[in-house]
Amino acid sequence: MAKIFSYALATIILLGIGASWIIDKAKNSHDIPHLKSVPDFSMINQEGESFSQDNLQGKITILDFMFTSCMGPCPLMTTNMSKLHKVFLNEPEVQFVSITVDPEVDNQKKLKEYSNLVGGNDGRWHFLWSDIDSIKNLKRNGFMLFADNLPEGHAIKFVLIDHEGTIRKYYDGTDNSSQEILKRDVAQLVKGLRT
Amino acid sequence: MRLFRNFTILSTILTYILIFIGGMVRVAGAGMGCPDWPKCFGRWIPPTSLEQLPDHIDPAKFNIVLAWIEYGNRLFGALVGLSIAITLYLGLKHCSHLPRIKWPMVAAFFLTLFEGWLGSVLVKTVLNPFTITLHLFFALIIVMLLVFVAQETYYISNIDAEKNSHYPPKMKFLFALMAISLLTEVVLGTEIRGGLEMIRKDNPIVESQFLLDMLGPFKYAHTILGILITILSVLIWFSLVKSSINPSQLMVQSSTLIIALILIQIVTGEMLVFLKFMPIIQLFHLWIASWILGLISVQYVAWQRSVIING
Repeated sequence: MAKIFSYALATIILLGIGASWIIDKAKNSHDIPHLKSVPDFSMINQEGESFSQDNLQGKITILDFMFTSCMGPCPLMTTNMSKLHKVFLNEPEVQFVSITVDPEVDNQKKLKEYSNLVGGNDGRWHFLWSDIDSIKNLKRNGFMLFADNLPEGHAIKFVLIDHEGTIRKYYDGTDNSSQEILKRDVAQLVKGLRT
Repeated sequence: MRLFRNFTILSTILTYILIFIGGMVRVAGAGMGCPDWPKCFGRWIPPTSLEQLPDHIDPAKFNIVLAWIEYGNRLFGALVGLSIAITLYLGLKHCSHLPRIKWPMVAAFFLTLFEGWLGSVLVKTVLNPFTITLHLFFALIIVMLLVFVAQETYYISNIDAEKNSHYPPKMKFLFALMAISLLTEVVLGTEIRGGLEMIRKDNPIVESQFLLDMLGPFKYAHTILGILITILSVLIWFSLVKSSINPSQLMVQSSTLIIALILIQIVTGEMLVFLKFMPIIQLFHLWIASWILGLISVQYVAWQRSVIING
């Protein structure tokens, strides 16, 4: 009996050590890569204010490309973006950027209406407008996303950008479990910023 | 027959280890390590690099550590399923005339299949908290059934066991109350954890202490029921050890071990609050709860045997 007991105890201790090691590994597996810097750009938001790469400094930014009359994946992306906007409502470090890929139709007034519609009018969600060539250039060369067939052929990615304007990671903007990972990553960056 | 006996013990031990691994997946946050089921990233063996990822899956979901933790859980789960299937086969071969062995074994087997299916639901629902609790709950039921079967099988070749022991006859209610209280306590405990996670989902940045304050009622219920369980365990100990005639070794040891484990649970439970829900303690807090449930099963079977053979 004593023998069985000591075997059991040894097994339990080994399991405990193994589990600690694995849990630790899991905890450290959430490193978010540094991909590249966002290049210089200059656009106008729905309030008519200019918005450039400087506005990314000191903030954690979640960015996507969309257009207001889109019937494809955009409504789902905007819903997900809205949810994120609500989740991080009390975190002043987090901001949201949606760049229109249909500047012909989405003028400043359209974007303003749209931001009111989706609850993004508290100054933390910027809907950006520029000429189509600048947008294509930024999307293709700045964010490495395809930009051949705009507006319909826009990417469905959410881009996470850190407080130094560095692109950290891309997420599927239409997928639920990707949203959970994005939330966790944002929380990690915000906590890093505060300490 | 001997093989069957060994398999009942093997299945019980493996199931306990699987409960441990399952708890580890939970505290490591690896439950969505594989976003699909039963395959992992569309492969039977998870990818070891980003290049192996199929095109339709978002690379942001890929975390090699989490994928392999979850995959390990599934592999071990399959192993346990196989072990329980073999145990059922041997049980039906040797003991189909003994309903006390046959039916719990059949139930354990079908619940195991159900558990596998629940695992797939968990992945589909991105870890729905209610389903997680259900997944654990049935694992505990399965392990109690296996302990029951293993012990009954042991008695087949040890016919004199509990022959000279006399326990108080009216204990059934006490055992039932204890088992129900313990299962409720585990569910309350997972609700505390699940609640913490739900709040964290909507407020990813808040501190644990603040979370705990928000969970006030659940935590009170968990503590109060814990006190009740402690009292019950002492009551059962007195009945089975002190107020009995010649209690068996097994009975004395299991009853005493239950009290010791409950004391450990009180300590680890408090440590969780002070150490901000340190994952490894969470894991053991849950795992020890499953041991206590198994030991209650042992007490019950031993008591019942004595009552049956001594009239």
